Amino acid sequence: MKRLLLNQAFRAKRGGRRAYTQAILIALLSTSALFGQTAETNPVPSGEPAVSGYIDLGYRWQTGVFGSLPTYRSIVDLGSGPKLLGADFTILNSGLPPGIRFFDRMNVRLTDIGDEPYETYHLDISKSKLYNFTGDYRNIAYYNNLPAFADPLFGSGLILDEQAMDIHKRLGDFRLDLFPNHTFMPYVEYDHASDYGNGIATFVANADEYPVRNLTRDADENYRAGVRMELPRWHFRLEQGGATFKDDEQLNAGGGPVNYGNFFSPILGQTLDLTSLSEAYAIRGHSVYTDGSFSANPFSWADIYGTFLYSQPVSNVGFAGLDSGNQVLLSQILFYTGEANFITAAAKAPHTSANLGAEIRPFRRVRLLPSWFTDRMHTSGSNAGLDTLQPAGCTPPQACPVISPPVSIASLLSSSLVANSNEAGMRIFIDVTNKLTIHGGFKYVWGNASDVVLPVAGLAGFETGRIRRAVGMAGLAWHPLQNAWFTIDVEEGTSGSTYFRTSLYDYQKASVRGRYRLAKDLTISASGLVLNNQNPTPGVNYSFLAHTESASLQYVPGGGKIWDFEGSYTRSALYSNIFFLDPEYLVPEQSKYRDNSHTATALLNLNMKGWLGYKTRLTVGGTAYFSNGSNPTTFYQPLARMSITLHKGLAWNTEWRYYGFDEAFYVFQGFRAQMVTTGVRITR
Amino acid sequence: MTRYACAALLTLLLTSIHVAAQDAAPKTAKPAPATTPATYVGSEVCGTCHEDIAKAFARSPHEAVEKGESKHGFKGQACESCHGPGSNHVMSLAAVDIRNPGKMAAAETDKTCLSCHRNQPTTSGRLESSHAHNDVACTSCHSVHAHGPNGLVSRKAPDINAQCESCHVEVKAAFAQPFRHRVPENAMTCVDCHNPHGSFKPGLMRMASANEPGCLKCHVDKRGPFAFEHAPVAEEGCESCHVAHGSENAKMLTRQEVRLVCLECHANLPVSTAPVNGVVPPAFHDMTSPRFRNCTICHQKIHGSHIDRNLLR
Repeated sequence: MKRLLLNQAFRAKRGGRRAYTQAILIALLSTSALFGQTAETNPVPSGEPAVSGYIDLGYRWQTGVFGSLPTYRSIVDLGSGPKLLGADFTILNSGLPPGIRFFDRMNVRLTDIGDEPYETYHLDISKSKLYNFTGDYRNIAYYNNLPAFADPLFGSGLILDEQAMDIHKRLGDFRLDLFPNHTFMPYVEYDHASDYGNGIATFVANADEYPVRNLTRDADENYRAGVRMELPRWHFRLEQGGATFKDDEQLNAGGGPVNYGNFFSPILGQTLDLTSLSEAYAIRGHSVYTDGSFSANPFSWADIYGTFLYSQPVSNVGFAGLDSGNQVLLSQILFYTGEANFITAAAKAPHTSANLGAEIRPFRRVRLLPSWFTDRMHTSGSNAGLDTLQPAGCTPPQACPVISPPVSIASLLSSSLVANSNEAGMRIFIDVTNKLTIHGGFKYVWGNASDVVLPVAGLAGFETGRIRRAVGMAGLAWHPLQNAWFTIDVEEGTSGSTYFRTSLYDYQKASVRGRYRLAKDLTISASGLVLNNQNPTPGVNYSFLAHTESASLQYVPGGGKIWDFEGSYTRSALYSNIFFLDPEYLVPEQSKYRDNSHTATALLNLNMKGWLGYKTRLTVGGTAYFSNGSNPTTFYQPLARMSITLHKGLAWNTEWRYYGFDEAFYVFQGFRAQMVTTGVRITR
Repeated sequence: MTRYACAALLTLLLTSIHVAAQDAAPKTAKPAPATTPATYVGSEVCGTCHEDIAKAFARSPHEAVEKGESKHGFKGQACESCHGPGSNHVMSLAAVDIRNPGKMAAAETDKTCLSCHRNQPTTSGRLESSHAHNDVACTSCHSVHAHGPNGLVSRKAPDINAQCESCHVEVKAAFAQPFRHRVPENAMTCVDCHNPHGSFKPGLMRMASANEPGCLKCHVDKRGPFAFEHAPVAEEGCESCHVAHGSENAKMLTRQEVRLVCLECHANLPVSTAPVNGVVPPAFHDMTSPRFRNCTICHQKIHGSHIDRNLLR
């Protein structure tokens, strides 16, 4: 009825405006009545099925890894076997009356289930005007065992692989937003993050270090609750949270062959070794934090905003270590066969951050943005330890004529790290035309830091630093056409002092970005970024230049009914030079880092209607990365994918992937692997 | 820099020529805007012509405005809540007679959206965000009318990442390097670390537990506070040593050898005019020995230690 009347309206427009107006009025009257009926009955839109979505089941064959299996597992880590590749379902609870429904809409997403390195689970449930619940859980395998990281000379036969791990990261995030009314909207949230697994770490003794088994076991639980308040012109958010943290890392050794560590030469005729080790950390931490923010539009010509954050994490630590073997304390030339080390430590780090800013519009085309930011952190810690050594009196199984008394070394240390930084600035934006905005501004950054460990020992103990930096900014945003934009940002900073030798000092930073939809089916984009940082201070002489240029193209002729293509190319280069003195011989050396890399990605999709009698979609493409410079590397990841729609709601998917990785200086870390995955997608 | 300036000028010039050529093309004369004040006509009228949009809109979260569930009113007038009163447009069918936030200047578009959405958890940093500075309007990422697989905005990892990468092509390339966060595998998304609406921190970085670095949300064993902190971690963040998007160097380090990452700061070269931290190494080691070429073999608690001031355990 409505449609008929409104169609009449448009026919009427051609005939005469009066008839058109009449039809509009009739339509309005009838639609308002109809709309009033439907609005109250069912918040879930009709026309959608109660359950919709898909499930991907499949099997992957991995042909085997040629080359370094540890490196393959550190970078790719995909294996063979049956998999639940993905599932995505939306359930609409439209069958029950709104009053007795638990939810209106539920969405469930799963990916990569079944001994996959990246399992993800996601759940969204919502009920109109009542609540919104989001749950996210990930189980990520983190395998890292790179021979060249532990030892750049691995290729020469030395094995110092002491930084490997095979752990799982489990991350959960669950949030419930409630909507009791339009003014106060409370929410609660719980986050969980944990690591569990094994690895290899180093036990560092006084004159040697030993690779030993390492158990990683830590967890962080984070709870918070807050409320969003929306008043007509003022909006607030207040949040109070708390976190607990524990880390029960352990190191163990013993029961196997004698561990001689990394130092084989005898000291005063004696070879060092580790017979047994048991070390355990018991770290317990907690934090209470507050997060408040507001944004407001107190006047038509001004917006203001501000944030205040405060946290005070605290750690309390107990550590116990027992080891035996033949060790030496070089400072006292004391050989010992056993050590018991007990340490307690504590630290707290009150941390306050705040910002305040505004957007002021004195004229229609001018916006002023003053801003201020401060961040103040002070970590203070203490550490008390007792290290007891059992001097070597004899070598078992000989009878010991004299048992030397144990030697105890007590220590009491305290530490303080202060880091304060501030920033104040002003930007001005001028809308020259509706299509062109130019902006400029200035900010000043200042701060101070100090790092103290008392009592001072050796060369380290007390350091201070400060930062003083003035930065000018300018840029433009230009939208010459509806489907084209172009931005330029330029920043130049000059510093009086910085915290570290490699910090930003006198620098220029620029970025240029553009995107243009040349035709309905063709979009191109390009970007260029450059950072030039120079610190000519005597004793530093740091020179750094990095630039990246990218271009991409997306071509979707006819809306991609037959084929479409997207590709990109990026070139980046980095030059860094800085001098240092060799720590042993104090000979000047230069750290030169060069990187000149090229990255290309391409993806071509072909839709073949009627091929083999079935609707078929072919995808070919992949990514190629190659670089030269300080660490010449190639990494290829081509793929091909075919999806055949066998029946409505049933598709057969097959994918081939290849991974090829090479490093010119670490040939032993290269690998090749390919895999084929096939399976079905069931869609409802 | 000169090369960049030339490239930018050339691009501007070429684009200007192209735009000028388009502007010079004969166009039909735009109808003059109506002079009578417009009044509200209701969404049903809008849906008569814009049928596809109306259908999609009816299944989108913004339908709540249509039903009067928004505190701002506009029951039955959801379209006009953003587009303004539409009676003149209905009469003339001319685009000039209706507000179109999708075609307005980004700041104006954002103002329309923020009239309701000011208090999203992160909006307070929006004005300072690079997206706001570069006129990336809300509608650049959010489809206000749409109800499709992505709803108003991408929610699934592959879609989120693709959306960000469509502009940040160089970041997509960084993730093609061998050592990276698991973004190409869609185990992570860009918004896990970045808040596209705005943030306290540069680079739109998220934070954890109020004002702790966002990295610590996952890397919980690095969070501390430690009795013996490694100052750069606290003062300049993880990016002092790591390239977060991706690197050709193991563990996403900034240099190919660990010792160079360390020695560039611990250079043993005193700086008298403007003191900087960490220049003196705490001990002397023979770098010709493979034992000492990877500093973190021994200084394994490089992110901070509770037990040892030299970060050995």
